[in-house]
Amino acid sequence: MYVYRLMLFLVFGGYLLSPLLMSGWANPGVAWYRPFLIWGVLIALTVWLEQKRKLDER
Amino acid sequence: MSASLASVLALGTGYLLLLFLCALAVERGWIPSRIARHPAVYTLALGVYASAWAIYGSLELASNAGFGYLAYYLGVAGAFLLAPVLLVPIQRLSRTYQLSSLADLFAFRFRSRWVGTLVTLVSLLAVIPLLALQVQTMGDAIFLVTGAASPSLLALVFCGLIALFTILFGARHTRLHARHDTLLVTIALASAVKLGAMLALGAFALFVVFDGPADLQAWLDGPGRAAQAGVEHLDPAQWRTLLLLFFAAAFLMPHMFHITFAETLSRRTLLQAAWTLPLFLLLMALPVPLILWGAQRVGAEATGGGAAYLAFALSESWWVGALAFIAGLAAASGTMIIISLALSGMILNHLVLVAHPPVDQPDLYRWLRWLRRALIGAVILGGWLFYRTVGVHHDLTTLGLAAFIGMAQCLPGMLALLYWPGANRKGMVSGLVAGTLIWLAGLWPPLLTGLPALVLLPPGLEGLTGEPVWYIVTLVSLATNILILILVSLATRTSPGERAAAEACSVDAVIRPKRLPLEATNGEEFKHYLARALGEDVASREVDRALAALHLSPLESRPYALRRLRDRIQANLSGLMGPSVAQDIVDRYLPYRQDGGDATEDIHFVESRLEAYRTRLTGLARELDGLRRYHRRTLTRLPVGLCAFGDDGELLMWNDALSTLTGIPGESVIGARRDSLPAPWDELLGRILAEPHSHLYKQPVELEGGLRYLTLHKAELEDDDDERGGKVILIEDHSEMKWLEDELVHAARLASIGQLAAGVAHEIGNPITGISSLAQNLRYDTDDPQLLETAGQIQQLTDRVSRIVSSLVGFAHGGRHVAGQAFAPVSMATVTDEALHLIHLARSGEDVDYHNLCPPDLVVQGDAQRLLQVMINLLGNARDASEPGGRVVVDATPEGEWLLVTVTDEGHGIDERVRDHLFEPFTTTKPPGEGTGLGLPLVYSIIAEHRGQIDIDSPPPGQPCGTRISLWLPLNRQDGESPDEPDSDR
Repeated sequence: MYVYRLMLFLVFGGYLLSPLLMSGWANPGVAWYRPFLIWGVLIALTVWLEQKRKLDER
Repeated sequence: MSASLASVLALGTGYLLLLFLCALAVERGWIPSRIARHPAVYTLALGVYASAWAIYGSLELASNAGFGYLAYYLGVAGAFLLAPVLLVPIQRLSRTYQLSSLADLFAFRFRSRWVGTLVTLVSLLAVIPLLALQVQTMGDAIFLVTGAASPSLLALVFCGLIALFTILFGARHTRLHARHDTLLVTIALASAVKLGAMLALGAFALFVVFDGPADLQAWLDGPGRAAQAGVEHLDPAQWRTLLLLFFAAAFLMPHMFHITFAETLSRRTLLQAAWTLPLFLLLMALPVPLILWGAQRVGAEATGGGAAYLAFALSESWWVGALAFIAGLAAASGTMIIISLALSGMILNHLVLVAHPPVDQPDLYRWLRWLRRALIGAVILGGWLFYRTVGVHHDLTTLGLAAFIGMAQCLPGMLALLYWPGANRKGMVSGLVAGTLIWLAGLWPPLLTGLPALVLLPPGLEGLTGEPVWYIVTLVSLATNILILILVSLATRTSPGERAAAEACSVDAVIRPKRLPLEATNGEEFKHYLARALGEDVASREVDRALAALHLSPLESRPYALRRLRDRIQANLSGLMGPSVAQDIVDRYLPYRQDGGDATEDIHFVESRLEAYRTRLTGLARELDGLRRYHRRTLTRLPVGLCAFGDDGELLMWNDALSTLTGIPGESVIGARRDSLPAPWDELLGRILAEPHSHLYKQPVELEGGLRYLTLHKAELEDDDDERGGKVILIEDHSEMKWLEDELVHAARLASIGQLAAGVAHEIGNPITGISSLAQNLRYDTDDPQLLETAGQIQQLTDRVSRIVSSLVGFAHGGRHVAGQAFAPVSMATVTDEALHLIHLARSGEDVDYHNLCPPDLVVQGDAQRLLQVMINLLGNARDASEPGGRVVVDATPEGEWLLVTVTDEGHGIDERVRDHLFEPFTTTKPPGEGTGLGLPLVYSIIAEHRGQIDIDSPPPGQPCGTRISLWLPLNRQDGESPDEPDSDR
């Protein structure tokens, strides 16, 4: 259940900080794939949290 | 790039034919169910969210707002990341109560059919622009590829094919709430096609138009910068608003609600989608900027459809256009299929059935099926008409945002439904109506007529002037909606029914249903009652279905089980006709009895729900639940029978020990009334409940294993400050104690008789000795042969009397062998003779023919008195088992260092069931009152004292009936050594 709080924190934190993603569009010095890289990291984090949740509920 | 109308028709029809073939393959079982039910299929089916907007609308948004287009994907990804706290509770509700749409859920929570109707109307108004968007992309794509003058007609053909597919494979079942593998696999295929096409287009842009990622980066840093001049970055507030809209769409949009909740998938699969769906969306979103930049690199101009269709301009190659067309068609078709299916269900349940209840329909299932089919056609036709009359005048972003903002009006109600039990119907309806009116006034006039939006900014929000209309409308409508919901809910009263439903829906609450008796008293009566509403055939099928789901018998009469049956029928009817109609039917035709007293909480049901919610509890609640489980386990595993009754006589607890004692499992009686328990428990428990005293001692009860003596204690559960009353009863089995008491009395009586017999024998001994001496003297005093013979006979008879007397005295004095005392040589022939003398004293044994075949010279080492007791017990048993005139043979044979003594009778033998327990105390085959069950245990212990063995054959080998007891005793040896243990294999 504590994992759920971590997920809530992640989602609301991401919601507040998400406008930063848009600055990468055609911005010199910023790789075009940066938002997708961040998104991929978030997915990996979710997979990790999902594993933790499974262990927590076992 | 230009293709003929026929080739586009062939391409589109070919794709739709592929969907038909896929559906057919699943239906015929050509695709194994392990593939059809794979979690990846579910993830791809959830990809239905990525509609034609994801293919074309995202390009349009990306060209205007840069990475702002990602809001469409990230909003949904956020919602699925919150699956454990947001989606799983909705799934639980929709599955428990068979709620197949948002309108069902709202109607259930706010206990009003009109709420369902209102949500259906809002959904219809909101989704029609989205449906039109799908058709519009088809029309625009056809126009782009063919340049045809009337692409709408070809779009209509595709709409017809999609409707036909939905009717054939989606509306075959009357229930929406079931897993339809065919539909899921087909939608998954559509998602796979659009994903594949998008990735191929993205790869084409990256590796063909550009020369790989480095070249793209160089272009973006150099010449490409100028092409991005038109991109206006979204204001952070607008971005967050967009995110919120798409977050809400993840579970409010009818097609998403349908796939996520109505298709009954496991909780595990839904939780897995928390990362698999975002991964799918990432792959869908990644090619969008690549395609846009690729089109800009090749110098493509935005055509009449705007930047939305730049993918067609990536290359002159026909297959690039075909890929872009198929991606759009796959996305649009999947979305249209599920939207039409979900909306038709909502319209049927909350508009048609509310206006025209299905009571007395001769064939209800068929009627419902055809109505749904007609509605599917009507919904898709409605989408096409909206596209023709309204959609053609607007871009995709305008249509899409209108739909998403409209649907978001249900967001406050949904959050209140899950997290605020204080919200009520009046608050929700007022908020939704206000929000919807603002949405209609703000976005629909420009949509329908081209007139400016009618938005009045409230005081304090004047700063929003100049912002985009969609943004203002979203903020104002949602803020008004939320504010009115809260204020009206706080200011008005909530009905008890609504409060109960709020508890059922609330994430943190457990339903506390009341224990009320029903008018119908068993499953068969349910059919009779329901037949008045549904007809006999449908009523019978629905009741049988619910009984089968609950594993109950049609004659089940436990009030607890009947309440569960009623709930299940209501849930099943809800899946068929929506919660409003289902509740009306159940309330009216399966009513509760009104003659009962105050309703109390259904504790057993509450407990079963708590068990199911255990993993969701945290902190203090989890600790308390741990304590509850500990106390529950203590009562369940108490080694004394325990049961508890509620005030209304309903059985609430039946522990393991009582199940073992009665042979009745707890699950089959919990929830039953006391008087419906099987005999003798109904009468026995009724007696203690009616008894003014709290105890009933050693009540004789005839059970399967024989007569038992039970002691019952009861206690009242009522407390001054606790509303839950009732009685708890403890049941102890005191049978063995009672038998021991009886045996003790019997043994005491025997001991007295033994002492008396010994005294009498002693007194008789003196005159007998005198008679014997006188007879001896007589022999010396006479030579008369007649007198000599008489004196000899007198002496023989007195000798016999002396032997009997000496046996009686010996038996009376025969106690336990003293450990360590040396055994003496004992002739088994003599011991058997003595035992036979004593047996003959009992008149009942006179008609049995005894044969002592023991050779007198065979002597064992032992205690003569103890061995005499052994033989008396064995011969007594043989006599009791024999018929009049039967033979009992005692024989002895030396076997090495052992003497095998056998006692064989021709009696009725020993019952198999008790054969293994014969040496246990109180095991007897004799009728009650005749046997104590202590004889053979005593024999066993005496033989063990002699280090011998005992065995029983019943019947003996080679004999049809009878019993043979075999004893192995140590032969007397001159050297005084004890023999080894006899062979244990015997």
